[in-house]
Amino acid sequence: MAVIVKQVELSWLDRTYFWPIFKGMVITMRHFLRQITTRTKDRYTVQYPDMKREMPEGYRGLHELKRFEDGAIKCVACFMCAEACPARCITIRAEEFSDLNLTQGFEEKRPAIFKIDMLRCIYCGYCEEACPKDAIWLRKDYELAAYDRLSMQFGKWDLMNTYADVDGKARLTQESEKEIKIHHGDTESTEKR
Amino acid sequence: MDQLSALLHMSPATLWMAFKVLLVFAGPLTLAALMTWVERRGSAMIQDRIGPNRAALFGKWRLLGLPQLAADGIKAFMKEDLVPPHAHKFLFWLTPILAFLPAALGFAVIPFGQSFQSGGQTYHLSLLDPGNGMGMLYPLAIGATAVYGVLVAAWSSNNKWAILGGMRASAQMVSYELGMSLAVISIFMTTGGYDPHQIIAAQNGMWNVGPQFVGFLVFFTCMFAETNRLPFDFAEGESEIVAGYFTEFGSMKFALMYLSEFIHLVTASALIVTLYFGGWRVPFVGNPGVLLSVAAFLGKTLFFCWVFVWVRWTLPRFRYDQLMKMGWKVMLPLSLANFLFHAFLMFRRG
Ligand code: SF4
Ligand code: SF4
Repeated sequence: MAVIVKQVELSWLDRTYFWPIFKGMVITMRHFLRQITTRTKDRYTVQYPDMKREMPEGYRGLHELKRFEDGAIKCVACFMCAEACPARCITIRAEEFSDLNLTQGFEEKRPAIFKIDMLRCIYCGYCEEACPKDAIWLRKDYELAAYDRLSMQFGKWDLMNTYADVDGKARLTQESEKEIKIHHGDTESTEKR
Repeated sequence: MDQLSALLHMSPATLWMAFKVLLVFAGPLTLAALMTWVERRGSAMIQDRIGPNRAALFGKWRLLGLPQLAADGIKAFMKEDLVPPHAHKFLFWLTPILAFLPAALGFAVIPFGQSFQSGGQTYHLSLLDPGNGMGMLYPLAIGATAVYGVLVAAWSSNNKWAILGGMRASAQMVSYELGMSLAVISIFMTTGGYDPHQIIAAQNGMWNVGPQFVGFLVFFTCMFAETNRLPFDFAEGESEIVAGYFTEFGSMKFALMYLSEFIHLVTASALIVTLYFGGWRVPFVGNPGVLLSVAAFLGKTLFFCWVFVWVRWTLPRFRYDQLMKMGWKVMLPLSLANFLFHAFLMFRRG
C-alpha cells in the first residue's frame, strides 16, 4: 500500500535554520526557567524517599487482617482466600475456638496460622474479593522490602499489625490475644492451649 | 611579589609565569568540571527533570548536587582500568593524553584580563605575552590537532563503532575548519594583526559581532563541530554508534576524555569571546582594570559555555549528509562571502 508522506513546504525563514533554532531555544529556555523557579514539591518528579505519593483509592498494597474492636481477628479460616489466590501464597491452618464473646458471636473457627508469602504474592486482590467476612484487605503500603526471604513471610500477627501504626491501633501479639479472653472471663480455652 | 619570589628563590618573572601557568591550567579545568555539573543539572531543568542531586558531602550537605563531581571522580578512579585485548595497547594509553592536551593547551594565548603595570613592569594576563609571533593562529592550530585524539582513540580501540565515529569526526572537523578559518581570517584582516591582544584592542568601542555578524554565526557553528557537541556529535552518535570513538574506554580514561570535551568547550567559548565579544572588555568602560576585566571575561565565557549546553539540549543531531552539505555548501560560502565583503569594504575605505 502506498503511503503518501505529506511534504511540508518550509518558508524561507524556516530554511535559514537560524530562526527555527532560535525559536526552539526560546522554548527550552522557558522550560528551564519554569523548572528552576518551581519549588521542589511542585515539580513533576516525586523525590521518592523524601516525598511520597499518596496512592489512589483501590490501590492494592500490603494486606491487613482486620480485627474487631476488642482486637479479636475477623478471619474465620474459611480458606476462601487461599483457594482464590492465583499465586498460591496463602497458608492457613485453622483451629477450634469456642469463646463466646461479645463481638465474635458464635464463630468457632479461626486461623492458628495465617501466612502470606509476600515474595510470591502478585497483589491481585483476589483474596480480598473472595473473603466472606471482609477480613483481609489490601491497602496502600507499597514499601515492602527485607534483607532475607524469611522475613518476607508475613504471619498472622504481622498481618494484623501491618497498619496498626497508621490507624493508631494497638499492636497485637500472642499475649494480647490471651488478655482478650481473660477479659471476657473465658479461662477454659486459654488453659487448653 | 618580589618578596614572595625571593622567598621561593625564583625570579619575579618565573614566579609570575608559574602563577599564570597554574591559573591557565587550573582555571579551564575547574570550569570544565563545573560545566559537567551545569550540563547535567541544566539539561535536567530544560527537560523538566531534576537531575543528580543525591550525592552529599559526608552524607549531609547536598549543595545542589555539586558533590556529584567528586563522587564521579572517585568512582572513575576506583573502577577497573580495562584495556580490551584486541586494542593497540600503547595508543590506547596515549589517547586520553592526546585528547586532553590540545583542549588544555588552546587557552595559552587567550588574554583573560587587562594587562596592568606594577613596579615599572607590564604584566599581561595571558600565558604567552603579546608579540610571541603565534597569536591567534596558535589555538586554531592546536585545536586542529584535537582530531588526532579522536582518530587515535578510534583506531586504537579496534572497534567498528569507534572507527566509524572517528572517521566521521575527522571528516567533520576538517570540513568545518575551512569555514572557521576563513571567518577568523576576516577578523585578522579588519584588525590588521592576529595577536589576541591586538584583536581585543581593536574591539574598543565596537565588538566584532556587530560588523561581522555573519562571520560570528559561521565561527560559532563551526565551534560546535570542532568541540564535537550536539548537534554535531558525530564522533559519539550515541543512538547509532554507541559513544563512537570512546566506546571502549572506561574508568579514568573515559573521565579524562569526557573532561577534555568540556575543556574544549571552555576554550571554544573563550575563543568566541576573544574574537567576537571583545575579550575582557566591559561595555561603556574604557579601562576596566584587572578585577573587572577578568570578571567580564569570565562572565562572557560562562555565558557561551551555557549557550553550548543550551543548544545541545535544544537541537537533535543532524544527519551525516546534512552535516557535510552544511559544512561545504553553507558554512564555507558564507564565510567566504563574509571575507570578500569585508575585503571590499576595506578596499572602498582605502
Ligand atoms: S493478593 Fe492475590 S496473590 Fe496476593 S495473597 Fe491475595 S490472592 Fe494471593
Ligand atoms: S481471610 Fe477471609 S477468606 Fe481468608 S480464611 Fe479468613 S475469612 Fe476466609
